Amino acid sequence: MTHTFALRRLVDPSVRPFTILLCAIFTLAVADRGGGRFLSLATAFSVMQLFATLGPVALGLGLSMLIREFDLSVAGMLSLAGCVAVLTGAGNPWLGAFLGVGVGIAGGTLQGLVMTGLRIRSVGVTLGGLLTFEGITHVLTRSQTIVYPNMRIALVLNEPILGVLSMRSAFTVAVFLIAAVVMSLTRIGRDVVATGSDRRASRVAGVSTDSVVIGVFAVSGGLSALAGVLLSYSLAAASPIALSDVLVPASAAAIIGGVSLAGGRGRPLSIGAGVLILCLLRSGLNAVGASPYLHEIATGAVLLMVAVVDAPLLARRVRSWRRRLSSSQLRRDGATYLSPPASSG
Amino acid sequence: MSVKESPGIGLGTASAARPLPERVRMGQNARRKALTAVRIGALVALTVGALATPGFTSTLSVLSLLTAMSFIGCVAVGMSFITITGNIMSLCLGATLSASSLVFMASLGLGVLPAFLAAVAFGVAVTAAQGFAVGYLQANPIIVSIAGLALILGCSDYITGGQRIYPAGGGYQIFKEKVHGMPVEAIILFAAVAVGQVMLSLTRFGRNMYMVGSNPRAAEAAGIVRWRTVTGAYTLAGLFTSVAGILLAARYGSGDMELGTGYDYDAIAAVLVGGTAIHGGGGSVLRTLVGVAVIAAVKVILILHGFSQQMQYLITGLIVLGVVMLHTLGESR
Repeated sequence: MTHTFALRRLVDPSVRPFTILLCAIFTLAVADRGGGRFLSLATAFSVMQLFATLGPVALGLGLSMLIREFDLSVAGMLSLAGCVAVLTGAGNPWLGAFLGVGVGIAGGTLQGLVMTGLRIRSVGVTLGGLLTFEGITHVLTRSQTIVYPNMRIALVLNEPILGVLSMRSAFTVAVFLIAAVVMSLTRIGRDVVATGSDRRASRVAGVSTDSVVIGVFAVSGGLSALAGVLLSYSLAAASPIALSDVLVPASAAAIIGGVSLAGGRGRPLSIGAGVLILCLLRSGLNAVGASPYLHEIATGAVLLMVAVVDAPLLARRVRSWRRRLSSSQLRRDGATYLSPPASSG
Repeated sequence: MSVKESPGIGLGTASAARPLPERVRMGQNARRKALTAVRIGALVALTVGALATPGFTSTLSVLSLLTAMSFIGCVAVGMSFITITGNIMSLCLGATLSASSLVFMASLGLGVLPAFLAAVAFGVAVTAAQGFAVGYLQANPIIVSIAGLALILGCSDYITGGQRIYPAGGGYQIFKEKVHGMPVEAIILFAAVAVGQVMLSLTRFGRNMYMVGSNPRAAEAAGIVRWRTVTGAYTLAGLFTSVAGILLAARYGSGDMELGTGYDYDAIAAVLVGGTAIHGGGGSVLRTLVGVAVIAAVKVILILHGFSQQMQYLITGLIVLGVVMLHTLGESR
């Protein structure tokens, strides 16, 4: 009995990401057969570099999913902020970073205001936001790749710290820690979770749900903008197309990280573990010499598994199959009168 | 203005706890009328703008408009079924389109019709499986579609090695010919819209889709088997998406995983601009056709007026945003 309990704990949505993470590390280490290609500082460094790009976006998206919304605009914001930073930050990188993140926060706030003011679902608004932000990026860059002249910044941001981290990834890890503290220890965090669990009830209970929605979208915009600024600076370039392929891995990371699209469930550190799983699959499989398509298939398989395990009707369906199986067995034994009443599945 | 509407379903107890905002109190009829007026006004303005644009009505421009519409139109028609049944959108249709273009090109050696059927069967199988997971287990549609996307990308990369697929046989050119001056692509689009609209408004399956989309529990209580309806809707989406894949493959003379990039967003944008509500239970395929036409026409007008391609992206985004905001006028919450 106790070991089934422990098993259940391990697949509990808030613990599951860490379980999958350990499994992924173990599998990759075994696949490496002691070649030292996977369990190396270089691999850990490249995993963390990927983490720095994907992490903030997944965190922002995850927070929006936590309040039962879905911020499709993160990818557009990533490229827009990157381009704004590169265009304005040539002289002073701080100014560029400030403006880039500012654009992200402003864009997120605007979308939040539209949603709460007009009471519309976020998917439509943020789809419009995604296309608009991408459009602005195309207009600003004339669809060209823009080179950032200040190469020194790229070097500083990517310089390894303690072998594993860089300025960029250390900063991202700090963002995750701050988010974890805010979400679990402050009233803001509690209000966000309450809004996601039952918006009407929390409004009645005195939570200003509208400010929560606006705030979450502002944070989500700001976080994706931050990822965009850091990425563009560290690549010393910005382009409207190259950066836009981030929505799918980011949402995959948030979902694998245990965020439920039904709202009210999800923790920053679990989202971080979800991002790490994806980054591990990508650079770990690369490091052990697997073909690139394997990480797509592995990501898809993990996602599908999470989707099926989380499906609300799974338990009922399995139960009704079992019942049908056992009843057909009884019938074969000639004991039809013993079969349970037909299930209503 | 003083007519106070009864609180919508979505605002049951909240309206008791908090007075409704001023805007919501406006009579619903008045709001519906205002919305219709704005819609008609926008369409009239667009038509006038189109007619006033030199070169818009030239045969060449109209034909290229129709061809451009047909690819995205087929996907958008498919997406409409997913949206109407309350499953928001699929992020996997673009990849399905590309993959069916590969299947079509690879199986052309067997002849055009078998290749067509193989590509359609592939598209249908892929999306129907997702529809089954969404309907039967009630798995989340967005997660399932992302999983499907990753799996399709991974498997196609494994099989093709990231290479383009060139036709294994001839005869695919019939999909880019003209019949009585009408591109075959456009004929197929109109056929798809007709089939879809007939399904939606004249069959029991169509009515079931609306009911499942507007209130799944009530639909189940009324005896509708929800998973069959949802799987059916996804099957139709796969059907029309793979047709778009075949048309694109025929147009470019090769199958490529890049063909469908961005089609998911363009398709859902067309669905929304047409006026189908994102939360399901309403809308139609004809509306989606209008949405596709509006976006395509605006793009052509912008090109003819010398605006850059970049401006087109921006304007499309703004139109989607505007339409989504406008639609709250007609909603009952």
